[in-house]
Amino acid sequence: MTDETLSALALSVRVAVLATLANAFVGIPLAYVLARRRFRGRALLDLLVTLPLVLPPTVTGYYLIVLLGRRGWLGAPVYAATGWSIAFTWYAAVVAATVMALPLLVRTARAAIESVDRDLEKAAWTLGRSEWRTALEVTLPLARNGILAGLVLAFARALGEFGATLMLAGNIPGRTTTVPLAIYTAVQTGEETMALALVAILTVLSCLVLVVAGRLGARAA
Amino acid sequence: MSARLEVRLVKRLPGFTLDAQWSADGGVAALFGPSGAGKTLTLSCMAGLLRPDAGRIVVDGRVLFDAAAGVDVPPQARRVGYVFQGYALFPHRTVAENVGFGLRDRPRAERERRVAEVVARLGLGGFERRYPSELSGGQRQRVALGRALGIDPALLLLDEPLSALDAPLRAALRNDLRAILSEWGTAAVVVTHDFSEAYRLGDRIVVYDHGRVVQSAPRAELLWQPASEAVARIMDIPNVLHGTVVKATPDRIQLRWRGQLLEAVNSPTRSYLPPPESPLAFFIRPEYVRLIRKDRGPADPGHHMNLMTGTVVADEDFGTTWTLRIRLDHPGPPAQGDYDLQVEVPHLVYEILEIDRDRHWEFSIHRGSIHVLPA
Repeated sequence: MTDETLSALALSVRVAVLATLANAFVGIPLAYVLARRRFRGRALLDLLVTLPLVLPPTVTGYYLIVLLGRRGWLGAPVYAATGWSIAFTWYAAVVAATVMALPLLVRTARAAIESVDRDLEKAAWTLGRSEWRTALEVTLPLARNGILAGLVLAFARALGEFGATLMLAGNIPGRTTTVPLAIYTAVQTGEETMALALVAILTVLSCLVLVVAGRLGARAA
Repeated sequence: MSARLEVRLVKRLPGFTLDAQWSADGGVAALFGPSGAGKTLTLSCMAGLLRPDAGRIVVDGRVLFDAAAGVDVPPQARRVGYVFQGYALFPHRTVAENVGFGLRDRPRAERERRVAEVVARLGLGGFERRYPSELSGGQRQRVALGRALGIDPALLLLDEPLSALDAPLRAALRNDLRAILSEWGTAAVVVTHDFSEAYRLGDRIVVYDHGRVVQSAPRAELLWQPASEAVARIMDIPNVLHGTVVKATPDRIQLRWRGQLLEAVNSPTRSYLPPPESPLAFFIRPEYVRLIRKDRGPADPGHHMNLMTGTVVADEDFGTTWTLRIRLDHPGPPAQGDYDLQVEVPHLVYEILEIDRDRHWEFSIHRGSIHVLPA
């Protein structure tokens, strides 16, 4: 395998792992709040989280540029203050993968949390547990398999992300070129052996993910 | 003396309003009524799981909720044990962990001692390491009771505690539950839509209907003196009938029904004195109607009162008793569809009198067995 192939693989795995971690920290609380709390703006939050699932990835990527790019709402002040921008760095690939994977985790985890019998939570309250402790000791453990299945799906989505990553992080060999982008480049430049190797690796990984998610899902049911 | 338990609640929901008030002197209060009458809603409010719009809840002098004073103790601090319908045991925790769940703040040694004590008292010894899915229905009920009693609650709430069980088990566990409640001596509120369950478990019965309390009384008083026709119907009392007042005095009421002049005992405690010719609801207990033997000569009017004659038009065998449907000889449409009175006789009587062969009877009803229902 060439250095380029290896670096694309290493970057993809690193991006997918970090995006999955970010999903766990952001997505599980989001799923809990959407499943169990009633508040103003809940429908809007639900819509925002779900949108990347239905929007073309390039559109999501465009919004991310508008938000985080050198001239973006958040990106411009950061650039003005530090001279640094997240755009076209591998961090941008992590952000793009996180946003694209989030709806998969949130929807799966939310369904799992909603299926936990509310009487169990109420019982915990009458036995002295705060809502926070109840979530940690009762709700989330009982929704565990659904949440894990959601994380596996999020990992798979992050590993395969293409459109939004290309928009925000670009396709800089050795720096932001993940496996899907490397496949695209290889096909464009006629390097068929490399394309085939990367395609095979992604296919095997995706199959593994499906099997694991399927097992978790079966145990959750 | 103020009651140990004082409940006044108003809760408005879309399409339903709970507006209930009752009190109890400890012991077991059974909330009885049809489904959807607001009984479980009352429990939720008492446990602090639902916030009433108005009212006041006091347990043993401790104010748990008072809308006017702005008091609303959270469920975590109420010390109210809740046994949920279907028990809501934590499926990922063992029996011992379920029972000890409410004791997290106590030192480990004390917690273990308390769990062991509760497990032993409820006869769950040997099951400590089992998971709820590995228990029978009756054992699950005990774990749910143990978990709620473990925190040494000031009040125990039970929502349809027997409805998750099969019929044969229900009767046995009803007696178990009654024994456990009286042995632990914790004030309790039991929700049920089954009158025999309410009567077995409750010292006091609070009758709910459409979000309101229609009667709250010691169980014997409720059985003999339902406060109204509505209460009698909720209790599913047979032979609720409609007559016309002839004369009412504090201890007797004379009434006219289906061509008969009936005499009933009035309730001096209620001093119900309807004017003559006003409509009057009353009921006759089927097991207190006496059939008069034909081999002992004519009925003695000095001994028998409220004499009538009629024909058995249908009968049904209930194992230990027979239920007869009797149509009076009086012309006109019968009071209850195709019959006037439902009468219950023991098997022995049915056989001795050969009721299966002989269908026309004279019978009498003691005035004390005709119960007047105030409007």
